[in-house]
Amino acid sequence: MDILLIVLNIVVFLGLAPLYEGIIRKLTAKVQSRQGPPIYQPYLDLLKLLGKDNLVSDNWAFKLAPMIAFAAVTAVVTIVPIGFKANYLTQYADVITIVYLLTLAGISILLGALSSKNAYAMIGASREMITMIMVEPILAMTFILGAVRMKSLAIDASMFSILSTGYSWSVVLMLVVYLMALQAFVARQPFDISEAEVEILEGPFIEYSGPNYALFKYSMMLKQMFYAVLFVTVFMPFLHTGIFVADLIVQLVAVAFVFVLIALLGSTNPRLRIDQAVKYYAVLIVISLCTIALSVYGF
Amino acid sequence: MNIDLYGMLLQAFAILLGTSIVVPIVASKRKLAGWLNTIAVAIAAGILLYVAYVAIFVQSGAETKAIYFGAQPVYFLIDAFSGFFIAIISFMAVMSALYSIDYMEHYKDYSLRPYYINFPLFILGMIGIVTVDDLSIGFTVAWQLMTIASYFLIRFEYKEKQNVRNANKYLILMELAWVFIIVGAYLIDGSSMGDSVHTLTQKLGATGGMIPVLVYALLLLGFSFKAGVFPFGQLWLPDAHSIAPSPVSALLSGVMIKTGIYGIVRTFFWMIPHEGHTVNPLVWGSIIATFGVVTLFIGTSQSLKQSDAKRLLAYSSIGQIGYIVLAIGAGLYMYHSSNIFVQMLSFVAIIGILYHVLNHAIFKGLLFLTAGSILYETGTKDLNKLGGLITFMPLSALIAGIASLSIAGVPPFSGFASKWTIISATLLGGSQVYFLALFGIIALFTSALTLACYVKFFGMSFASTGVQWNVAHTPQEVSWKMLVPKVILAVLCIVQGIVPFIYYETIMNIFKSSTGSIVQASFNELSAHNSVFTSAMGVTINVPGMQYANAIAVPLVVIIIVIIGFTVAYIVKKSAGSEEKVMPTWLCGYQDLNNNNRYKDRHMFAALKSMLWWTGGNVK
Repeated sequence: MDILLIVLNIVVFLGLAPLYEGIIRKLTAKVQSRQGPPIYQPYLDLLKLLGKDNLVSDNWAFKLAPMIAFAAVTAVVTIVPIGFKANYLTQYADVITIVYLLTLAGISILLGALSSKNAYAMIGASREMITMIMVEPILAMTFILGAVRMKSLAIDASMFSILSTGYSWSVVLMLVVYLMALQAFVARQPFDISEAEVEILEGPFIEYSGPNYALFKYSMMLKQMFYAVLFVTVFMPFLHTGIFVADLIVQLVAVAFVFVLIALLGSTNPRLRIDQAVKYYAVLIVISLCTIALSVYGF
Repeated sequence: MNIDLYGMLLQAFAILLGTSIVVPIVASKRKLAGWLNTIAVAIAAGILLYVAYVAIFVQSGAETKAIYFGAQPVYFLIDAFSGFFIAIISFMAVMSALYSIDYMEHYKDYSLRPYYINFPLFILGMIGIVTVDDLSIGFTVAWQLMTIASYFLIRFEYKEKQNVRNANKYLILMELAWVFIIVGAYLIDGSSMGDSVHTLTQKLGATGGMIPVLVYALLLLGFSFKAGVFPFGQLWLPDAHSIAPSPVSALLSGVMIKTGIYGIVRTFFWMIPHEGHTVNPLVWGSIIATFGVVTLFIGTSQSLKQSDAKRLLAYSSIGQIGYIVLAIGAGLYMYHSSNIFVQMLSFVAIIGILYHVLNHAIFKGLLFLTAGSILYETGTKDLNKLGGLITFMPLSALIAGIASLSIAGVPPFSGFASKWTIISATLLGGSQVYFLALFGIIALFTSALTLACYVKFFGMSFASTGVQWNVAHTPQEVSWKMLVPKVILAVLCIVQGIVPFIYYETIMNIFKSSTGSIVQASFNELSAHNSVFTSAMGVTINVPGMQYANAIAVPLVVIIIVIIGFTVAYIVKKSAGSEEKVMPTWLCGYQDLNNNNRYKDRHMFAALKSMLWWTGGNVK
């Protein structure tokens, strides 16, 4: 049973992440009055990329980076509970570990970008790092809010905190902050500053091609699904029915709705400049600090 | 059972003293002097490591002991707590000495005589600081030995005017710190020359009025100067650490500033009188924790702005010291909290102090040795002139990568384990006391800043490109004498991260067996074991009566999951049998612009740097 749940975690995340990506692409196309690719297009993209030539730079870091990124994100999605049920591995990590693992995924993108020796990649890496620094605290504070309420940094305790203690003012405030940071978490417009196709040519990924690029793509899709699942689990405890299969299905549907939101926000907003974005994030950080304070004092 | 630790300590002192007299005689034979120095330091370190081993694991309840120099008794104390610091100092000394043999070839225009006179004396002084048990005679001798020897090591390149100025500044500020500490001890009612710290503590209890507050403030101030706490560290640390020869920088940042930490911990956990005037630990705890959190944030964000590799590392040392000081303050505050939950967690913070001291010594030492290798091979430490060294020095690059990930706190490397310890203690304590939660969040945020520093350090020296346009000859991998210490330290960075339970057990043992501290009783009564569980896989913090475990770190399991993920990634990558081809970088047709086309350090994180301009340390 233990193994089964872990396998389910992996299958659900690895299997559905490209589908959710497909939703975004289809919807974006509709908003822009285009036909758009079929919803299963991201699967085809990944398969196609795996068969292409793998053009690399002449050092070990460039080749290692995509694999580290994939491994780190996979580790996160293996550990994270879905369907309001912690699996066997959840008990072996806590929220600090999760935050640092996501950081590891972020650094490997930077490592790849920097070792590609391309000036555009450097620009992208610099922006990616700034985004990471400013957005990571918001993610951390989402977890910490739960942790403070439950006096525990365990992942399940933190993620199910609203399920067990109910909504409060601090939770509502955190929910708002999370929604405002959502586009930054998933690196979509208006916060796709580090990739910015038309400006710096996909930034960190400029030199990547073939299977290496597929791995990066895949880990980005997994990461954005993780953020959507996190939102649904933490802030929508009313979906909890107690029956695991029902919980799982309802959650996955809810995740699809989060992706609809991401697609709509992404397709209707222009990209910000990095200095504008930094100020925006700074405000969010301050608000979420207040949230934690409210929570500590019992609101 | 009765091993004469003090006799062995004096033997080690004698060997170090002898080294500083004999080796300089052959200083003109540079390699020979280097080897002799290494061998002698290694012998002394061997003795000292044995002393440390006995002090930590074998003998408990060590008593202070007077050793007579002529008619003058000087008190020494080797307990488990000193043992811990002795071990770090002597271990790093050997690494640094071995590295020096080839590295000092870099300074062809300078005689090595001053270097080999002062190197052993510097070690001797540091060992002295952590073993003498008074705040007057013995302390002064050890402090001056450490300060003056390191002064001469720092001004080794005396032909540069700026270096001498920086070194002089260092000397003056360290003497000032010494004055603070001496005056602090002198203010205690009835204190006389050569009193042991135990006696001083009793006399402090009998001192009335506001004097004890002043005493603690002066001692904190003095040791903060040494440790590099904001704003005192900024005055000397970056200037001094960046100009010293790299093996010395490794010792300065890795171990010397830890003697300041040693002093602060001894002051606030040992020098607490049982009767009479008592300090208010809640106030002092919050003051120290505030200093810690300000130091870690300011130090790290200043580090982010540096474009000189060694200055970047030096500022980042200030940042890391901040974590340790935060742990001291939080531990002190939480230990005296009236809330049982918070009190139980104080042990975690206290363990975090020594854990991070150890980890920082290893990875910061390693990073300075890495910067040294870069300097040795390319002749520059300006990040704007480096880049692409990964092709020329692949092994050094790998080692630098491990060190960078360690200091940034990425699992499963060593920095993760100790930062996790400190951050989880403060965050959980924060569920009752808001300022601790705030400090924990700032610490977490700052570790992302640390990461940015090292992404820059690694990215602009080893990754990216450019060194070939700025350096006359092609850099090569450094010699084995420089690689061996780096490899050893890199392995330690991984080991210390993967098996945190060994270090937890050892550190708990240290606090259990060091007599006189305010926490010894609690560590002995197993209260610590009620909240901290260690197993072969990791560490769990669980205060009794809670539904969920409070915090969990099991790096071993996490790393196994990551490795499985990595294997899957590898299989996926190879699954369609695509061909791998090495290609030149595509630069939109501007590949001949070389230096003009590179991304300068000034632009790196520009938006963030301009938002953090108020933290100072700006580079134009």
